[in-house]
Amino acid sequence: MLRKLLKYEIKATGRIFLPLFLALLVFAGITRVISDISPETWSTPANISMLIYIIIMVGMFVMTFTMMIQRFHKNLLTDEGYLMLTLPVKPWKHIVSKLLVSMLWIITSGIAAFISILIISLEKGDIAEITEGFATFYHLVFEQLGTSAYILSFEIILGIFISLASGILVIYTSIAIGHLFRQHKMFASFGAFIILSNLSQVLFMLISMIPGITHLFNINDASHDFIGMLPIIQLIIAYGIIFIGLLSAAYFATTNFILSKRLNLE
Amino acid sequence: MSTILECNDLTKKFGKKTAVSNVNLKIERGQIVGLLGPNGSGKTTIIKLANELLTPTSGNILIGGMKPGIETKKIVSYLPEKTYLNDWMCVHQIIELFSDFYNDFKPTKAYEMLKNLNIDANDRLKTMSKGTKEKVQLILVMSREAELYLLDEPIGGVDPAARDYILKTILSNYNENATVIISTHLISDIENILDYVVFINQGQIVLTSSVDDIRAENGKSVDVLFREVFKC
Repeated sequence: MLRKLLKYEIKATGRIFLPLFLALLVFAGITRVISDISPETWSTPANISMLIYIIIMVGMFVMTFTMMIQRFHKNLLTDEGYLMLTLPVKPWKHIVSKLLVSMLWIITSGIAAFISILIISLEKGDIAEITEGFATFYHLVFEQLGTSAYILSFEIILGIFISLASGILVIYTSIAIGHLFRQHKMFASFGAFIILSNLSQVLFMLISMIPGITHLFNINDASHDFIGMLPIIQLIIAYGIIFIGLLSAAYFATTNFILSKRLNLE
Repeated sequence: MSTILECNDLTKKFGKKTAVSNVNLKIERGQIVGLLGPNGSGKTTIIKLANELLTPTSGNILIGGMKPGIETKKIVSYLPEKTYLNDWMCVHQIIELFSDFYNDFKPTKAYEMLKNLNIDANDRLKTMSKGTKEKVQLILVMSREAELYLLDEPIGGVDPAARDYILKTILSNYNENATVIISTHLISDIENILDYVVFINQGQIVLTSSVDDIRAENGKSVDVLFREVFKC
């Protein structure tokens, strides 16, 4: 059932994002072609096409954000919820499908933006230079860090994913909490968001005050050698991942509880 | 006959307001039941409790002996009083969605009914009138071969001609073991198809009876009795 939910979620959102990506890349291409043809800077057509490109880029990121909120709120907590929440599917699967698809579009938007920048700015020979640069960097890192380079990059990627997930889940939780109020739901959601984000920061501060962890930070300050600090950095990232992971789990559980036990569609 | 829907001391409160109060009810399989009561009497609340869209404050509601959940949603076909269709799909896409999620959904039945009501399956839901959307929803709901149909105000928003077709559709689309519960306050329109009635007022059951008994004992139609019971 999760697969089917994902399929419909991607259908519902892809119809917006795919044309946006296409428009972004096309206008990046047009901007590039125009500025190649008339190399004098600031020609009018180049400016116009650059402006459209920038508007699409901004629009794309605004859209990832509004879609994330709208797909959760409108599809589950307004009239559409009567359909979605009476399908023979557990509420947590709805949350997971929306979370994963939101993450997918945020990441692909980032990739589309990156590619469009390359289209506009890449000069002849740049690709070779960049690959060469990457190769050198890779060798350097591997030489210095050995296999722990893999662990570090794995940690960083995992950290990015979990932070992204927790950022989305805190918004879902806020919307769900807002739903508990009979009036001023939007206002309540906004308030819930502010409280939740502050609460998580306070929690983080409290946890970093645990004696053992402060000790780690002290060593961190004392040492100026990156390689020597590496195990500690890895440990700190690991702590961060665990902390954000637990936080995400709490957000997820709260949202799931509200959707399954405290639902009250208008 | 076995019980399809059962309420035991079912209570639902919203804050201080009690919407459903200590309801005890048993509905047997194989009939068309009218859940009748004035506006705000708790009809919709009971139906939403049966669909797990609300959680009881106390007591319970059982469908085929099970608490509302995945298993009951597989056998319940629910028509809410709201238009739940999104605005970006075509009719045939929403039919695909129903076929995907409900094993008992029969697309051929749905397409046939669409044809009878002159609705184009390629039309976008966005461009449809409210009445047409209600027809599409009813078609979706009645194209399932469910054990229990819960229809909340199914004829409220459509014209009389479509109303007749819808009632005919309800009658011809449910099999002998299935149960249809229709909530409405438009009694005279549906009286002829009902086997059994439940009168509800201010969250409490006032009367349950078979329609035949009402006619035999009181010599009255359900509509007349309803007007007497709920006289203002």
